[in-house]
Amino acid sequence: MTVERRPEERALDRMILELREHPAPELDWDRMETRLMREPLPTSDRTSRSFWSRLRLPAAGLIAVAAVATVVVARTSAPLPSKQTAKLNDAPLNGDRLALGTRLTAGNQPLIVEHAGRARWTLEPHATAFVTDAGEFLTVKLESGALSATVVPNPKPETFAVEVEGTRVAVHGTAFRVERVAERVQVDVSEGTVAVEPSSTHSAPAFLLRRNSRGNFALDGKTGNVEGNASAVVADGAGRQSHRTLAKAAPAPRAPQNALAPAKPEVSAQPSSQAQPLPAQPSISDIETGVSSAVQLMNRCFHDQTRTDNRVSANTALTLTVAGDGTLQSVTFAPPLAPGVEECAVGGLRALTFTRSVEGVTFTRLLELSR
Amino acid sequence: MVATPLIGRVFWSQHAPDDRQTNAVAGKLRVVTDLTDLVERCKAGDGSAFREVFRNHRADVARLVLRMTGRPGDLDDLVQDVFLQVYRSIKDFRGQSRFSTWLYRLTVNVVLMQRRAARSRPVLQGASDDAFGADVRDLPDDQLARTRRVAAFYRLLDRMSDKKRAVFVLHELEGLSPSEVAKVVGAPVLTVRTRLFYARRELLEMLRDEPALEFVARELRDERQSESGETLTEGEST
Repeated sequence: MTVERRPEERALDRMILELREHPAPELDWDRMETRLMREPLPTSDRTSRSFWSRLRLPAAGLIAVAAVATVVVARTSAPLPSKQTAKLNDAPLNGDRLALGTRLTAGNQPLIVEHAGRARWTLEPHATAFVTDAGEFLTVKLESGALSATVVPNPKPETFAVEVEGTRVAVHGTAFRVERVAERVQVDVSEGTVAVEPSSTHSAPAFLLRRNSRGNFALDGKTGNVEGNASAVVADGAGRQSHRTLAKAAPAPRAPQNALAPAKPEVSAQPSSQAQPLPAQPSISDIETGVSSAVQLMNRCFHDQTRTDNRVSANTALTLTVAGDGTLQSVTFAPPLAPGVEECAVGGLRALTFTRSVEGVTFTRLLELSR
Repeated sequence: MVATPLIGRVFWSQHAPDDRQTNAVAGKLRVVTDLTDLVERCKAGDGSAFREVFRNHRADVARLVLRMTGRPGDLDDLVQDVFLQVYRSIKDFRGQSRFSTWLYRLTVNVVLMQRRAARSRPVLQGASDDAFGADVRDLPDDQLARTRRVAAFYRLLDRMSDKKRAVFVLHELEGLSPSEVAKVVGAPVLTVRTRLFYARRELLEMLRDEPALEFVARELRDERQSESGETLTEGEST
């Protein structure tokens, strides 16, 4: 069953389509080109322009020499060819010297790639992958087989990601393994946290897998089975956070490396069919009422649990995920609060309920707590 | 039809570094080689190479600038600023991301810098409308209405924060995936997704305040009512 969208949402979609079709006006390209070619440096930069004008010829010469030298060095340092089948190779490859798009295929032995100070990933035998982004956010596309990675913790999250078809596994400083098994993606997390999400849309929530958890996902990244300390949330990934899944979660034993998870109900990011028409999300007023209760509760917990004569304050972003049935699914504090405050808050927040909706909702409020 | 943004993207993605090895089509390979060569020549100060980069990408840059600003009147200056920045910065392009990603990032930065500078200057009220409506009086009614709706929608986008507007334009209008948007704006993908969620919700709220667009929603409600023959509940209509 297709869920009917609200008229406002359809209006927004229609406007987006109209804007996409709306052409940019034609500019006088010839005039602009003439201006650019005649006066390539901006007029506001006169001092530096005259300085650089004097240096232009020598600088151009230096650039040309540097370019030639770069080409010579690059050629002599033998960057990997576009297609490479690696055989037994104990020494790690220098990932920083891999040309973008270089396809790596491991032979009978694992192939290790190291990006100094950032990440080290191992392509398991007969697996194939290639680097699609070597910049600040390293991205490896896994075509077949399995890949294990250890990522150096970085204050900036998601500095390393593995893509398998439409699924993206993004990392927050961790050790994990990704395997493509036929039309599924299996992810095992040994340390830290990874987010599994569709790489092309933003409408579905991400699955957060933490230490000793595993998941088996469809290639589009929208649905999957999760086992252990995992949940489906939309998070901002802005840094440290404390996440509490309020729904009953399975215990988190260390999963065997190559066994698929037992059959479990599929966790779907798609809205479920409803017998009665429901709003897509709880109304704003309902959300604000809930927020107001949550803020009062948080203040009370902070006051009760912080025993000191000094003035204390704390800032955190409180993220609540509400399920379609109106119950609270998860609570996230970023950065985390003292355990006692969190326990007190979570205990009270459990009682909050919202109106039922098709999709549920996730929202965040910045709180400043003080006593 | 949504061909406009797609054409630009397909063209740019033909130059994607990761297409060099995976794409066996000789023609596309040729284009990639040409772009790599062009960039290297630009770095070496070759004017003709820069001219070619300008001609290949000017329409895409103009489209993105217009969508980021909603002001056709500023378009000429901003597109020129973008290419001045390309000229200055191309030496810093190390090929670690796609050229298109780099150009998107540069374009977005130029627009945001211009907007920040403009905040400290007096604003000419209605400039956006005038620019869109300057020569529309002779248009047929439906085209005129569409032009007004587009201008109204740009007004709403203009009320959003820079961060939300940038991700909304890049994803919803330019068709970039959240991970591509993340690379352009230098934020984690989850942050991009959160911004998209709130941008969309904010726009839905603002639609109600904009008569030209509220009309669209009302029209859709009427269509739906006549199709289903049912009366909407209060909850659905708000």
